[in-house]
Amino acid sequence: MTDPALRVRLGPLELANPIVTASGTFGYGLEFTDFVDLSELGALCTKGLSLRPHAGNVPPRICETPAGMLNAIGLQNVGVEAFLAEKLPRLRTLGATVIANVWGDTEEEYVAVVEALQDAEGLAAIELNISCPNVEKGRMLFGNSPTATASLVSRVRAATRSTLIVKLSPNAPDLVESARAARDTGADVLSLVNTFVGMAIDPVTARPRLSFGTGGLSGPAIKPLAVRMVFQVARALPGVPLMGIGGISDLSDVLEFLAAGASAVQIGTANFRDPGVSGRLVKELAVYCADRGTAVSSLVGRAQRIGTGGEAGAEG
Amino acid sequence: MRADHQAVLLRRRVFSPGFFSVTFRAPTLAREIAPGQFVMLEVAGRLRPYLRRAYSVADADPDAGEAEFLVRRIGPGTAALEDLAEGSEAALLGPLGNGFSLAGLPPRARVAVVAGGIGAAPFPLLFRALTAAEIPADLYLGGRNAAELGFRSRFAEIVPGETFLSTDDGSLGEKGFVTDAFARRADGGRGPLYARVFACGPMPMFAALARVVQRLDCPSEFSTEAAMGCGFGACLGCVIPATEKPFVISCMEGPILPPGKIAWEKI
Repeated sequence: MTDPALRVRLGPLELANPIVTASGTFGYGLEFTDFVDLSELGALCTKGLSLRPHAGNVPPRICETPAGMLNAIGLQNVGVEAFLAEKLPRLRTLGATVIANVWGDTEEEYVAVVEALQDAEGLAAIELNISCPNVEKGRMLFGNSPTATASLVSRVRAATRSTLIVKLSPNAPDLVESARAARDTGADVLSLVNTFVGMAIDPVTARPRLSFGTGGLSGPAIKPLAVRMVFQVARALPGVPLMGIGGISDLSDVLEFLAAGASAVQIGTANFRDPGVSGRLVKELAVYCADRGTAVSSLVGRAQRIGTGGEAGAEG
Repeated sequence: MRADHQAVLLRRRVFSPGFFSVTFRAPTLAREIAPGQFVMLEVAGRLRPYLRRAYSVADADPDAGEAEFLVRRIGPGTAALEDLAEGSEAALLGPLGNGFSLAGLPPRARVAVVAGGIGAAPFPLLFRALTAAEIPADLYLGGRNAAELGFRSRFAEIVPGETFLSTDDGSLGEKGFVTDAFARRADGGRGPLYARVFACGPMPMFAALARVVQRLDCPSEFSTEAAMGCGFGACLGCVIPATEKPFVISCMEGPILPPGKIAWEKI
């Protein structure tokens, strides 16, 4: 079932619908097959893949916070080789549109992972995680300085013909500058935002609730921040295809991000609470469009056209 | 098959302040659940708690189509369940996890169940299975004080063997840790009295019990608890340091784990 009203185009990436599941919240997709028909999603983003298997952080790794959660999983993953051998073939059989999320500790590692994925059949795109705030060495820098972002993205761009998505960090000092750097050096699509660095402390013991100390905040708590950031980047860089991410749990959230300027959205933490939510949102969006005789593409950026009373970023 | 079951709360029974059970109408789940398995429970429409909470299924009655959970109020998740009105719905995602195993027990074997505090939660259904299989079992139920043994009446007539109560402060039953109460009896002189030990409780209890069962060379199954974000292997939040690899994923490889798989020194 593909509904032409739901089709979206993000640069070279065409998706049957704009509902994508976010990296780190959807495993390798295979964990969800009891709850979602993977072939009905716009795409799924895999757990962040590294050159070698990675064990991740010691527990406690997660902690609930008001309307969301903190995580410091530490990028546990099976490694790109096992992904290609064990996961991707099954995802292809299930008809999933797959976006491989990739990370490394150095530019060389990113390039090596991307090269390993180069000849894999059935990958729709590669998404670079330049923004995971959880592992110490170096990676904070890729997303947090436009220079480091530009250097990494151009290296990766030179190494692959695949559609390249760069996932931006909301912790960057100037998100628009980071977005511009990624676009100028070869990103086809920008996804935003990754988690916000946060912290929770046990009030009795005064210890951080996560063993890592800090963690990435996600869930509905970050939604207004993420909407503002999508709106801001869409306004500053018109024409750059965006995937909006941040606390999306229901249809109205999807519509809000589309209106802000995202051509597609990623569903993240909501997958934990409600593993069937992504498939349901595809159906609800189809009903919404049919009822109004509209197409998703015409819902994108409506808020940009209407404008705001003031500049995004005003703190009132 | 794993599914998200919309279930109506039929009744709540209060055992002592903060200790209660909730029974839902959930026919499919009641038919499919095995002892030791769990569900991720969501009280709809709440932003706090935002994530679901993991609850072992305490008992299931396939004929009546009911599933029961034993709950101790400790935070916003359990408070939401305490506030849920009878007749209201909750979502029960399950069955999840691996469950206890009764396979391979020798003839005339006797088993032990060791429970600390709210660790009593998964055992009514296990006792049902043990009774059906005609396997005698003793219950060691411990807590810090008498209030923590709030669920003892739930076990009054379902243990196919003896029940030993203990409290750290001696306010009920034997004074001391439940693991000590178990250790005093488990050594039958020539090897362990029990062919298998099923346990659930806090990590310090597990760590102490692991030493006892290792000394006795007694096969054991621990129902581990770790903060779970999803319950089905997606978030990787519930890992436990392991012996044969860095971590086991509690929700998928457990929650029932033999103590030998857990790296106790890293907990």
